[in-house]
Amino acid sequence: MAMKAPDSGGSGEILPITHSLSETTSGVAAASHSPQPPSSSSDIDTIYVPSYSRWFSWTDINGCEVRSLPEFFDSRSSSKNPKFYLYLRNSIIKQYRDDHPRKISFTDVRRTLVSDVVSIRRVFDFLDSWGLINYTSSASAKPLKWDEKEAGKSAGDAASEPSTTVKETAKRICNGCKSICSIACFACDKYDLTLCARCYVRSNYRVGINSSEFKRVEISEESKIQWSEKEILLLLEAVMHYGDDWKKVAPHVTGRTEKDCVSQFVKLPFGEQFVKESDFEDGLEAFDQIKGSAIPESEGIDKDGSSPNKRMKLTPLADASNPIMAQAAFLSALAGTKVAEAAARAAVTALSDVDEADKNASGDSNRQETNAAPSGETTRNDSERAWADAKSLIEKEEQEVEVAIKETVEVEMKKIRDRIVHFEKLDLEMERSRKQLEEMKNLLFVDQLNIFFHTRKARTSEDRVEC
Amino acid sequence: MKSLVSTGWKGPVKFRMPTAENLVPIRLDIQFEGQRYKDAFTWNPSDPDNEVVIFAKRTVKDLKLPYAFVTQIAQSIQSQLSDFRAYEGQDMYTGEKIIPIKLDLRVNHTLIKDQFLWDLNNFESDPEEFARTLCKDLGVEDPEVGPAVAFAIREQLYEIAIQSVASARESRLSKKGRRGSDHGSASKASGLSMDLMKLFSFKSSVVRKRKDLDVYEPVVDLLTSEEVDALEAREERHAR
Repeated sequence: MAMKAPDSGGSGEILPITHSLSETTSGVAAASHSPQPPSSSSDIDTIYVPSYSRWFSWTDINGCEVRSLPEFFDSRSSSKNPKFYLYLRNSIIKQYRDDHPRKISFTDVRRTLVSDVVSIRRVFDFLDSWGLINYTSSASAKPLKWDEKEAGKSAGDAASEPSTTVKETAKRICNGCKSICSIACFACDKYDLTLCARCYVRSNYRVGINSSEFKRVEISEESKIQWSEKEILLLLEAVMHYGDDWKKVAPHVTGRTEKDCVSQFVKLPFGEQFVKESDFEDGLEAFDQIKGSAIPESEGIDKDGSSPNKRMKLTPLADASNPIMAQAAFLSALAGTKVAEAAARAAVTALSDVDEADKNASGDSNRQETNAAPSGETTRNDSERAWADAKSLIEKEEQEVEVAIKETVEVEMKKIRDRIVHFEKLDLEMERSRKQLEEMKNLLFVDQLNIFFHTRKARTSEDRVEC
Repeated sequence: MKSLVSTGWKGPVKFRMPTAENLVPIRLDIQFEGQRYKDAFTWNPSDPDNEVVIFAKRTVKDLKLPYAFVTQIAQSIQSQLSDFRAYEGQDMYTGEKIIPIKLDLRVNHTLIKDQFLWDLNNFESDPEEFARTLCKDLGVEDPEVGPAVAFAIREQLYEIAIQSVASARESRLSKKGRRGSDHGSASKASGLSMDLMKLFSFKSSVVRKRKDLDVYEPVVDLLTSEEVDALEAREERHAR
């Protein structure tokens, strides 16, 4: 069994693959595509496979398969062996590809495979999550992050983990004695050191560092009971993606058990999302403490802007606004609050100019950006300004729509008018021909009369002649 | 004589399916609001119980059945599983049992009739493997036939295992403490099993008698749609 290390899914490229089976008619040469996923409807015969599933081969079993589905490989039962796994996996994929682009359901598969249904379901779910079946490129955006995460997890590749975990691992391993700090620790940011209480007291640090350089950081409160904003973020993301499956949520929120996750989630007040915002503000506070700049009251966040914020808060969690927030925080820590605020404002105007389609979403996320820039009052103005910009854009669109409708109506009216004119002409013709008919009738009548008189005259003259 | 019997006799075994994988055959036949859902598949009883609900939900979603089916399906599966588990603690005697297994099933357009001998004592037997090989050898194209065959075999094995549990209980109640040939005779008395001694004694040959040849030959028929409809109508009438 060849074991190939899987690529850590990075760009989310997708590639079409060749069918190695001769029976299928849809063989396509493998080609790599640009990072922009093409629409799969353009070519029904091509089957797309995400790049993080490049390891797949009909005859080999990859390491990630062994890790995800250990029941087939631990020789606990004689019939659940790798050959059986290959049979299940290959039949499922074959069946999907025969019926492509129709999606294959679990019930279709389990009706045709000779096995107990739960094993089939596990293999099916595994293939589904790796995009080897039922994969459409349009769905690549959001699940990609999660598949990458799974790919990262199963590859055990620490380098591919997102930067948030790096920040969390900065959580307290003492540089001096290499043990995990509990209760309290002392951090020196100048030299990037973390010492546990014992090492600090024993002066177990390098020469040249003053004991006053260290800052005391309480741990027991933080890590045990309080949830950091990062953890809450991860929790909400995980819940959004995994729903009720706490078994999957817990590992996503690193370091918390399922019970903690559930209890924390229940405690989260969804009515006031800006509380989460204020937590983030606290995080920024920690950043700025060194510089000594005070962050004005985090309650200065506009409360009337919060209701659209509430709605928008959950959805931007899953996409790019987190790096933006982090960037804004980093900027403000580096360059000072004023500069960051100005930069954010410029970003707002630039974004609202460029992105017509997502103007609502960007308007709100920009509002968040400007909220992140720590200053109470001008934040309000900025957000109002952004809101006003968005509103004006909406009005513009509405006007355009109105104009278009007006034009359409005018065209219709013209059509009707033309038709009316046409009918009038026809009417005139009718009248004319009727008049002609009348005249002819009259003439006929006159002729008839004449004939009658003539005959009568002839008869009377005959009578006169006879008598 | 006696030595032969005693080598054949096995001590009582804990109840389980006499196959390599301890899988339970599950049959579903649910009617609800005018819709009927019939299905048959195998289930591994050592899977956690939440799998039942997951499976029920998936099936209802895939087949676009009304949501009320979820609870019904889950309940049916659970009750069959608990029946199976109720037997699990008890003993069964398998004896020297070679039984004929009969197949007589219709799956979509394919009709299969077959009969073969199965060794009940072989706890490494694999009906799934048998079904896969059967379909491959007979060139059966419809992929739904394989699971149906495996299911039919399992169902019959399950029935016989249950019977052997019942008979073990009976024999224990009636003949307390006695061992040896009694158990051999108890298993023979079931009537289904073949007498190995007669079969493999030096007087008879292993070649099957000619009159049995037709019975033991697999027959695969491909039906046309009209025949399928006719058969289905007949089955419905019988069911009522």
